[in-house]
Amino acid sequence: PPSPPPPPPAAPRKPRALLVRLSRRGAAAPSLETPDASPVAAFLSRFAAAKLAAESALSACSRSSPEEDAQRSLSGAAAAIDDLDRLAAEASHLLPPYELRSALAAVSDLRAAHRLAASELRPKKSFSFRNKSKAPKNLPQDPPTLPPPPPPPEQPNPAVEAILPGLGFRGREGAILVKDLRASDEKDGDFTLADLVSCQVYLKGKYRALYIHRLRDCRVFVGAVFGSVLIEDVERCTFVMAAHQIRIHEARATDFYLRVRSRPIIEDCSGVRFAPHALNYKGIEEDLRDAGLEDDTGNWANVDDFKWLRAVQSPNWCLVPEEERLQTIDISDVLE
Amino acid sequence: MGLLSIIRKIKRKEKEMRILMVGLDNSGKTTIVLKINGEDTSVISPTLGFNIKTIKYHKYSLNIWDVGGQKTIRSYWRNYFEQTDGLVWVVDSSDIRRLDDCCAELHNLLKEERLAGASLLVFANKQDIRGALKPSEIAKVLNLEAMDGSRHWQIVGCSAHTGDGLLQGFDWLVQDIASRIYVLE
Repeated sequence: PPSPPPPPPAAPRKPRALLVRLSRRGAAAPSLETPDASPVAAFLSRFAAAKLAAESALSACSRSSPEEDAQRSLSGAAAAIDDLDRLAAEASHLLPPYELRSALAAVSDLRAAHRLAASELRPKKSFSFRNKSKAPKNLPQDPPTLPPPPPPPEQPNPAVEAILPGLGFRGREGAILVKDLRASDEKDGDFTLADLVSCQVYLKGKYRALYIHRLRDCRVFVGAVFGSVLIEDVERCTFVMAAHQIRIHEARATDFYLRVRSRPIIEDCSGVRFAPHALNYKGIEEDLRDAGLEDDTGNWANVDDFKWLRAVQSPNWCLVPEEERLQTIDISDVLE
Repeated sequence: MGLLSIIRKIKRKEKEMRILMVGLDNSGKTTIVLKINGEDTSVISPTLGFNIKTIKYHKYSLNIWDVGGQKTIRSYWRNYFEQTDGLVWVVDSSDIRRLDDCCAELHNLLKEERLAGASLLVFANKQDIRGALKPSEIAKVLNLEAMDGSRHWQIVGCSAHTGDGLLQGFDWLVQDIASRIYVLE
């Protein structure tokens, strides 16, 4: 008698779903599929298999009792995750965006799990792998063993040290900082805000570029930036600005009121919220027009999260609910 | 005849060059590519992934791979190394704080064996910004002089905003690649 069909491979939930989808695809009507469906399907099945290998290597580390075995499984898992990474990257040309994003997300989830397994395995070691890496929120915290060691002393690059800083406000606390580029002869320059705590910053006029680094509890109001804005490491701040491009890295608990020509992006952020631009001062219309920012494209709400490459909404950002939004702020009376 | 040699032969006939554009995020890679191709540069979102452009340049056809520079996706740069004839490293000359970062990423890249034969063009971009460092200062910070003598390299100041310097840079790159790979014609 004909043997029954083989049982589906025993796999954790997610890969099985993939495999099921794959087998359905294959069974349905291969002739109806677009020509590039088969390489995609081939990738998905290879990826599912490699993912399974990585997952089982990872779960093996937690089960292995002698530390050497666990170490071996751990490095096996690392290699398997690297394989997975490479697989996804090599297929990046042929994959549709959603498949690519989910593959990348799977890899980054595994990496996080691997980091956690590694930290559990050697909690006593006096070094950390990466100072900046944060364990995912929902994972149990390590027991409070050692505080993170100080970062290795940075070797200052003498060539960089010798450079004079450009225009900007740096290293201030509890200050009101005002700059009006229209009134000075430094027209259309770049500007830097760095190491500010509890400051109110008002920048009127047009700026070619804006660099923002390490701000805590600040409120920042900017007229028009006709280039890009780069924001890194800010916490509990509010920004109101108009710009061509905005990149936001390592922001926490911060609101952004934006008008932006292209899509704003966030990376390594949490608890950031977005709302439409809400700023006024005498002459802002002219500044916005000269900077090519007279129209609101609505892109303030089209945020790309580089740490959340999935079709569903990122947990790292949201819109400011309408009833909580700031009223348009008029800073005409704030003078240098 | 192996596949590789067939590909090489085709490539030679069409005078194709493969150019890889990389650099930190916010350095202006996509703006440079669009500007040199005569396209609108006023609305460019940060690159999520990569863009490919084929540009006719004199008698050559340049395949330009413009790969996103955000930290999260830098680890994917290595997937674009294969068959690269020219490497364009773009620097935001006014982002002084991240020059160390920029230097480290560049030297990481140059260690890569698959890029060993590629000509290197460093664009010191955003020269139109008042506070921007000059190409000579960028060269010093990036420690370009320390590079192995076997590497063909050049640093050119440019502004993707105004277009200044872009042609000068690409002229050098294309000439340099041509003199290496089409030497027999």
